[in-house]
Amino acid sequence: MRPTNVTRQLSTLDLKDYKMDINPVLQIKHISKRFDTTQALDDVSLNLFPGEIHALLGENGAGKSTLIKIMTGIYSPDEGELSLDGKPIHLANSVEAQAYGIAAIYQEPMVFPDLTVAENIFITHRNRGWVMNWSQLNRDADAILAKLGVKLDVRMQARGLTLAAQQTVEIAKAISLKVRILIMDEPTASLSAHEVRQLFKLVYSLRDQGVSILFISHRMEEVFEIADRVTVFRDGKHISTLPRSQVTQESCIQDMVGRKVEEFFVKNSAPRGELLLSAHNLGRAGVFTGLNFEVYRGEVLGFAGLVGSGRTDVGLALFGVEPADSGEIRVNGKAEKVHSPEQALHLGIAYMTEDRRQIGLTMTMSITSNISLPMLRQYLTPFGMVKRAEETATANHFRERLAIRTTTVEQQVGRLSGGNQQKVMLSKWLNARPQLLILDEPTRGIDVGAKAEVHQLINELAAQGLSIILISSDMPEVIAMSDRILVMREGKQMGLFTRAEATQEKILTSAMGATPPFPAQNRDNEGEAMVPGSSRAKESEMEKSA
Amino acid sequence: MNWIRRTFRPEQVRELILVLLIGLIFAFFSTQITGYFSPRIFNRITADVAIITVVAVGEVLVLLTRNYDLSVGSIVGVSAYITGTLLTRNQSMPPLQAVAIAVALGALMGLINGALVSYGKVPSIIVTFGTLAIYRSVLVEISNAKTVVTSQLPQWLLDLPGANLMTVGGFDLRPMVLMALIIVVLFQLIITYLPWGRQLHAIGSSPEAARIGGLPAQKIVLVAYIVCGALAGLAGFMYLVRFGNITVVAAQGMEMQVVAAAVVGGVSTNGGTGTMIGALLGAFMINLLQQSLLRWLQISEFWIDALLGALILLAVLVDHIIMDKLRTIWARSALQVTDPASEIKESSHVA
Repeated sequence: MRPTNVTRQLSTLDLKDYKMDINPVLQIKHISKRFDTTQALDDVSLNLFPGEIHALLGENGAGKSTLIKIMTGIYSPDEGELSLDGKPIHLANSVEAQAYGIAAIYQEPMVFPDLTVAENIFITHRNRGWVMNWSQLNRDADAILAKLGVKLDVRMQARGLTLAAQQTVEIAKAISLKVRILIMDEPTASLSAHEVRQLFKLVYSLRDQGVSILFISHRMEEVFEIADRVTVFRDGKHISTLPRSQVTQESCIQDMVGRKVEEFFVKNSAPRGELLLSAHNLGRAGVFTGLNFEVYRGEVLGFAGLVGSGRTDVGLALFGVEPADSGEIRVNGKAEKVHSPEQALHLGIAYMTEDRRQIGLTMTMSITSNISLPMLRQYLTPFGMVKRAEETATANHFRERLAIRTTTVEQQVGRLSGGNQQKVMLSKWLNARPQLLILDEPTRGIDVGAKAEVHQLINELAAQGLSIILISSDMPEVIAMSDRILVMREGKQMGLFTRAEATQEKILTSAMGATPPFPAQNRDNEGEAMVPGSSRAKESEMEKSA
Repeated sequence: MNWIRRTFRPEQVRELILVLLIGLIFAFFSTQITGYFSPRIFNRITADVAIITVVAVGEVLVLLTRNYDLSVGSIVGVSAYITGTLLTRNQSMPPLQAVAIAVALGALMGLINGALVSYGKVPSIIVTFGTLAIYRSVLVEISNAKTVVTSQLPQWLLDLPGANLMTVGGFDLRPMVLMALIIVVLFQLIITYLPWGRQLHAIGSSPEAARIGGLPAQKIVLVAYIVCGALAGLAGFMYLVRFGNITVVAAQGMEMQVVAAAVVGGVSTNGGTGTMIGALLGAFMINLLQQSLLRWLQISEFWIDALLGALILLAVLVDHIIMDKLRTIWARSALQVTDPASEIKESSHVA
């Protein structure tokens, strides 16, 4: 039943043997893109061939998302160009990208919930006449889904569909637009094992129809199952592109983690103090399960893992924002249920968010007001007025202590640099005098100098007996700054390493669920467990909120 | 139960419920008020509802895109006043020209709203809150606070509200009511069958997906505002026909009734869902309740506003609960046959 046209024959070729007479459908030529201080993409080149599944690997921040946005016309590159069928193209927006047959499917499908399946498939079509012919529309949608081998009621609103079904709708939409290059950005992240199998069938059938697929996933075993070729990015640079037969999971991980730990400031090792907090079997339904760890006084416990592995959720649980619903937290040996940030602060737990612009700081308020905000009650006169002088004194204290560079503490926080904003946020939580400070991505998006200062500060604070949980996607940072490192993957604890044991390879291997050196995992069994963010978990959450 | 799911969408079930409610309200007050089922009350309600409905149809277009137009009351007032003034000065102006002037004035004011929302990127609630006041003030300025007086208007205009197209058992079908019905049907067809109408739903349903999907959202929203303004202009003409006397405060506060009609009729303020039929039913139900309560309880006009407010809140609350339930039921039944996981055909299997 397979199509036996030319493109099908192409796809059966071993891709390492591509001959010169098969031309790439899309060439990415020397593309660079810079945002403020970060070089997101640095002279990246890549060829995509018709009828291939091309996996793109890289740590968070390796430049994958930036490349997708350039390929779909959302960003324009600073340097370099895209060329389709050998002709250079310039994409001003996503409509133009679609017109050239380049489409992207994201982890969270971009469907219109109020429209029917059929409408969602054809909404961007311009050539369907002045008046909508609903029965024709439904028939056409049926035909496309049949071509994909999917049965779905096209008259139904997209609102009620599972995530997997919504993705199917997006794929159908891409096909209806005569897609030639389909970018799939972590399409399996929210799917159950069974749904992943179905998705892969769709992907194979697209490949057999000659579509070039750029497949991005953090799940190693999936990449190795589906990809014809594998490309690795690191720090915005293209590191390697090889046929699958020539790479191993280990070699890919080697390529992904080329950075040196020695470049970083390394935390002084200090004798650990007494036990401060312990978590037993901690879990939150549909988000993370079965976490066991201890934090000692003066210790930095690193939380490593990929974005979306549940690290932030553990931080939010310990701070009582989204409380854990199973397991036990003990603080100073006493079992405690943390159900609100107010109570967490009372227990001496503070959490510094990764999102300083949206929720970490009030950008329009002064440094002083930001720092005193969580502890405002301590600055009140008996009549409920704020003692401005004391507030200012506190702000000045931290300004000196953390070297916040500003002319006055009355400066609006929004006008400070990223690094200085980060220091204000740190001051705000240090002012709460916590025993345990949870730092979520404390050095993201700040310059090298400020980064070093934050590292130095973490070191000093730990030496003074403060316990710190350091959540970071920056692998060398976690290794350099932590006494012990807990690795998470898909809401589960994958391992707990001491600094002596930890290497970048070990941590990334365990964070990505790659097979060596761990025993092989059976995906189908695993999928039946409550995978965080699985469509079932999402559904039950949605039902709760409804 | 299955045939219900196949025949109707949840939105249509909601409209059926509204019809049922109107029937119940009607039945209840018939037993309470003597002479309730009279041509006089009927004509009064339909004449009011006709004007509100035409404005509400335009409002729905804007609401579908997840925007508001709060300035419609002022647009109705301005176009009623200016058209009325022009008619008093030029008695021989053809009726169609008068309508065209009212519609054009409305469209112009809609264009200003739409341009500021779409291209100025100012939140719609702020823009139209501003123009609500501005249009009204401009009217006060140009009118010199004079009133358009019935006696100065041409005779054809004065005859129009009483004209009868059809009489069924003492109940008249007035031209203005017929016009409102035509507008409702026409725009219901437009939002169902024209690509532009469907794109309105899409933009309100998920602005992010619309952006990524490359819909020309700015243009679509701008046109929605222009049409909304034009319909408010038309309603301005209808207002002139109905009342004759036009002061500078004409149709003040009408935006509240219009938004109430849409919301009670099931139009979501989060965009994406809503029908013209629903808005018509909403307008009808609110007006029926108002008129009935006025007669039944003899309460003052001021309490009617409070009632209106309470009704909107109640409608939104109940609507959320009912629609969630309905949608869950519909989704569940559809998924039984359509779970893609279990329905992949053999033909697509790849080794």
